Amino acid sequence: MEKMSLSSKARPAQSGTERWMRYLGFPGGIALFLLILYLPPGAGLSAAAQAGAACFALALVWWVTEPFPTYVTSLVLMFLLLVTRVANDKTIMYVLGMDVIWLNLLAFILSSMLVKVKLAKRMALWLILKFGRKASWALLAFIILHMILAPLIPATAARAVMTLPLIIVVAAIYGATEDTNNNFGRNLLLLNLCCISVLSSMTMTGSAANLIAVGLIQTMTDQRVYYMDWVKVGTPLAIVTILIMWMVGQKLLFRIPQEQQVPQLAGGFGVIEKEYGALGPLNRDEKKAIAIFAVVLAMWMTDVFHMRWFGVEISAPFAALLGAVLALLPRYGVLQWSEAEIPWHLLIFSAGAYAGGLALDDTGAAAWGVKWLFGGFDLKNVPFGVSYTIVIAVMMYSHLLTTSKTVRTIIMIPIVITLAKALGWNPISFALPAALCIDWVVGLPISGKPNVILFSTNQYSVADNFKYGITTCTVGVLLLVLSAMTWFNWIGLTPSFWAVR
Amino acid sequence: MSRTTIAAIACWFVCGLALAVEIKDYQTRLEVADDGSAQGSATINVTGAKAGRLRLPVGFAELSDVHIASAPPDVTIEPGKSGRQAFIDVTFPENATAETTLSLTYRVTGVLYVQKPEEGQKSAFPAGSRLLRHAFVNTQETPIGQYRMTVLLPNGHIVHAIREQLPRPGRKEFQPRVELDRFAGRQGAQLQFSGLRQGDRTSMEMEVVEEQRSIFWLLALLPLALGYLFAFRDTVKSQPA
Repeated sequence: MEKMSLSSKARPAQSGTERWMRYLGFPGGIALFLLILYLPPGAGLSAAAQAGAACFALALVWWVTEPFPTYVTSLVLMFLLLVTRVANDKTIMYVLGMDVIWLNLLAFILSSMLVKVKLAKRMALWLILKFGRKASWALLAFIILHMILAPLIPATAARAVMTLPLIIVVAAIYGATEDTNNNFGRNLLLLNLCCISVLSSMTMTGSAANLIAVGLIQTMTDQRVYYMDWVKVGTPLAIVTILIMWMVGQKLLFRIPQEQQVPQLAGGFGVIEKEYGALGPLNRDEKKAIAIFAVVLAMWMTDVFHMRWFGVEISAPFAALLGAVLALLPRYGVLQWSEAEIPWHLLIFSAGAYAGGLALDDTGAAAWGVKWLFGGFDLKNVPFGVSYTIVIAVMMYSHLLTTSKTVRTIIMIPIVITLAKALGWNPISFALPAALCIDWVVGLPISGKPNVILFSTNQYSVADNFKYGITTCTVGVLLLVLSAMTWFNWIGLTPSFWAVR
Repeated sequence: MSRTTIAAIACWFVCGLALAVEIKDYQTRLEVADDGSAQGSATINVTGAKAGRLRLPVGFAELSDVHIASAPPDVTIEPGKSGRQAFIDVTFPENATAETTLSLTYRVTGVLYVQKPEEGQKSAFPAGSRLLRHAFVNTQETPIGQYRMTVLLPNGHIVHAIREQLPRPGRKEFQPRVELDRFAGRQGAQLQFSGLRQGDRTSMEMEVVEEQRSIFWLLALLPLALGYLFAFRDTVKSQPA
């Protein structure tokens, strides 16, 4: 609880299946690489895009099956991208300087600060004492926390950074550490991951990509989407999905056994109460840490006013950078550089993953994949509900092909609108529900910035993330289909589900 | 200013707009041969055509064998060159119809070329890679509604990567500037740009390679996979309870 060190050692295989996956994953990745590389080139796909897809597929298989630690796979991917001429050395190397990597690094400095001054421990103990008599309630407390934070802080990575120290300490209280993974830890981390992404779809200002989608809808359909139009459909959907995942996660996907339902500290709640009492009133360093964090938080929450106030926008990584500078100030700060726990191996993993994702975007492989997905369906003369279901499913699961919400929005929303017009449906009946799926980037650790940050805790595998994320997306698709049959139809957003043009 | 004058000016402006010459559509299809030369066929649709000369930019430095494939009677053409850009002068007769479509064919050389590095510099491309570059500038005052250049690569060749596609698509453009596709069984690329006024420029540069991939990866990685299966076979040996 006192320390949040993240070691670079490989996660040991925990079952026979995992051992077989590791053994077959290595040749499996190579087989998939060769298969994609030597396929006849598809129309509209460049040789670099095809090679990029092959490299990414190999890395994906290795990340999931883990024949090597994930960061070694990332290094292999970076090398492959260079030697297959998918990207040049500068493009690959520059990824380590991307905003998400910086934010990751600075997040660990801020987290180290909160852990060192024991503020993270204080908040976690308070949370456990108030809500944590049972594991389920501790999980629910995080849902409520994210529901409050989501409309206030649009940057998902910033929300991940803020809650990370709290998550790590609460996980440790329930016996989940990097070395001893357990199902409470998996539920806690993956539920937080889903909360951060999915709850961004509650409002149109929840992410920059939502606003781009609204802009495209308004430009291409001449129909306005008001703030409350989005809230009416987005908020219930996001909240119901998260509540379903709260139940499904702990009861079905990663069943929390009885012994993990209560804190794992020797002595039980008595010890927690004692430890909380021993912390005493807030000390000077804790107050400083609160002040530093408040400055960073204020920067994140007021980003829309920065241009007016400072003449420049202070982005999320730079706000965190300011926080790190304040924390590391000699004499007045609260942290020394040697006390900052920066897991470089995880930054290397992130860099490789982003290099692969960017290669897919830059070479056009991602766009080609998305268009190919839609091109496979003939949707003329089929009921509205069938076309709608296909559009929603493609939109939801297409996040597995690209690491950028913005790129996906720019590619997909115009296609969805054009398709709706061609089929004779009101474009907004396809486009607005499809736009609600933009933020649901929960399938893989590389699908979004918060995913990279939370995966760095080493408390769950790529396969765990995939299982939980895909279940979340499937629940979302089912709820969106159910909504089209009922709620969306009643408020006039969609026509009758079985209507035919 | 009297009402009559304002009405006259408005009438003159509206009539001017209605009669303004515009190249509504300018489509070129370029079939590239293995030696790097290409056969081009351009179709232009001109609205508001008036008797006189229209200078048509083509986006190449040199043209040869320029012919009319189809055009209204008495329309004549004359290829020329200004600086480093070739052009075709199209002359419309007195009785030119307001909307005219004409097709031209021509040959160009050096469309597909090996880029030689500057002295003392290393080559940025491997052996067998060639570049295809096309830059089009609307050098005359007649606006062009839609410009589209479709390039068909030689048989057995594909685009390795699009190195340049300019200008970047605007906020209201939903089509990529350059799109790859298959045309008559050959891979090709289409450059498109709408609303070119005088001085507007659009360009693409692609690296072209042979379609056949080297078997290097197969030879290198298959033994590696088999070696791994042998060396790491203890991974799946049953562990003592």
